[in-house]
Amino acid sequence: MERETGSRRETVRQAAALWVVRLDDPSCSAADRAAFEAWRDESHENEAAFEREAAAWARLDRVRAMRPGMDRPDRDLLAPERRLTLPRFSRSPWARGMAAVAVAAVVGAGVMTFGSGTAYATAIGERRVVVLSDNSRIELNTDSKVVVRYRKGVREVKLLRGEAVFEAAKDARPFVIKAADAVMQADAGAEMAVRLRSDGAAVTVKRGAVALDPEPAEPKDQVRLTAGVAAIYSSAGHRSRVVSDSEIDRALAWRQGAIALNGQSLEQAVAEFNRYNRQQISIADPSISGLRLAGYFQTTEPKSFVAAVTSTFPVRAFEDSDGAIRLSRRG
Amino acid sequence: MTQDDEHRRAWFRREILPLEPDLLAYARQFCRDGQTDPEDLVHETFARAIACKTWREIGNPAGFATRILRNCALDALRRRKVLTITAVADFDRIEPIDETPGAHMMLESREELRALADAIAELPTQCRRVFTLRKVYSLSPDEIAVRLGLSVSTVEKHLVKGLRYCSEKLGRRIGRKSKVDEGRSWSARRDHDAKR
Repeated sequence: MERETGSRRETVRQAAALWVVRLDDPSCSAADRAAFEAWRDESHENEAAFEREAAAWARLDRVRAMRPGMDRPDRDLLAPERRLTLPRFSRSPWARGMAAVAVAAVVGAGVMTFGSGTAYATAIGERRVVVLSDNSRIELNTDSKVVVRYRKGVREVKLLRGEAVFEAAKDARPFVIKAADAVMQADAGAEMAVRLRSDGAAVTVKRGAVALDPEPAEPKDQVRLTAGVAAIYSSAGHRSRVVSDSEIDRALAWRQGAIALNGQSLEQAVAEFNRYNRQQISIADPSISGLRLAGYFQTTEPKSFVAAVTSTFPVRAFEDSDGAIRLSRRG
Repeated sequence: MTQDDEHRRAWFRREILPLEPDLLAYARQFCRDGQTDPEDLVHETFARAIACKTWREIGNPAGFATRILRNCALDALRRRKVLTITAVADFDRIEPIDETPGAHMMLESREELRALADAIAELPTQCRRVFTLRKVYSLSPDEIAVRLGLSVSTVEKHLVKGLRYCSEKLGRRIGRKSKVDEGRSWSARRDHDAKR
């Protein structure tokens, strides 16, 4: 899901940053400067990107103030473990008041907000992409619901219903997903799908890695899932297996509005369609439940799926007066 | 001409660049369906803004930048093959606001220093060391290379990486005082227009 424009932006900014670093190097030659001028004259995009990186570079000069006296240079002066000694500013009641006002303003704008969290939900057949303030993304599948709580120290997302794909952006705060009693912490850049089941949930990691703790109450039990691994956990325990890229793509075909079948039974396929549609399909004859299907269907077009099934197999379809479709054996 | 270009860039640095966090927040409202990257909109807005030869006549730079961004968003919309309609909230206003209006002026330089040091502290170890020696101790890349036993080009790579990380982080910092009108979303504007 690499965005072409995003990588182009990054390329330009990268080039701009290199020029900023070079021009500030005392050994920068006249030829370097001429090459820079030529690069900058190429486009206003280059020119603006250079100004942006140069401004950040200049702003960073302020850290010179942290230099302690005449000591010899300490390369680990800004190491994270040493940062704890810096003064902290307590949050004033004033600031909390402002935050409350901000939350109220968002409620006014039509988003469900309660506590410090915000809920996003989809109806049956709906899909929705949520881009969060840190550029993390949540893609909600049909009939799903998440609550997002971004706080100072942690980015927390809870899956309450259905299925979602999470893409954790890089950030200082950990990205934590809660689903069916389990807690998962996604690495920066990780992309994973979580689907709730009647008991527990299924997790598929598409990119990066995720630490899964199926029972947070028991601290010993943590599993690290890497890209290309799918895990299922429930109250009975958990198991994981390696899955191929194409298997992941099929499982996530809903992101393109599709259901991809590759040998699933008719029973499984019908259950899958029923997730996406108010018009429900049922199997009236158990003898056809085990038929194996393959193909690529639109999630919101159960009728074309039914048409495909009835033309391929000895299966008949009846539509009830309330719109429900019943499948039975033909002949 | 060169002199004039320099004035134009100085104007861009002074008036447009500091708007980045606000513009990004504004851009997100046009990207609610996830089809366009808000950072791309800001990037494009900067490129168009710096190109403005008549910058001297611009009285309200924030309004100017906002209009450009809206045009960029519309262009991005026109380029799309499939239009999706989804509404997503703007999370920025849910984030707790750290700074109090009154105390802010006093804390600003200390807060800024902290934010910068925090950003550097988040870099990978070797990158952070190179960056610290360059920015805190003002050692040249050559000196750093000798001190850490690295090649100059490796030092350069670390500096570029560190700068890129910090500039992204600084650009995302949420401005306490929004100069950009981000109170209205597209839908709100549509409703507003419909009432007239």
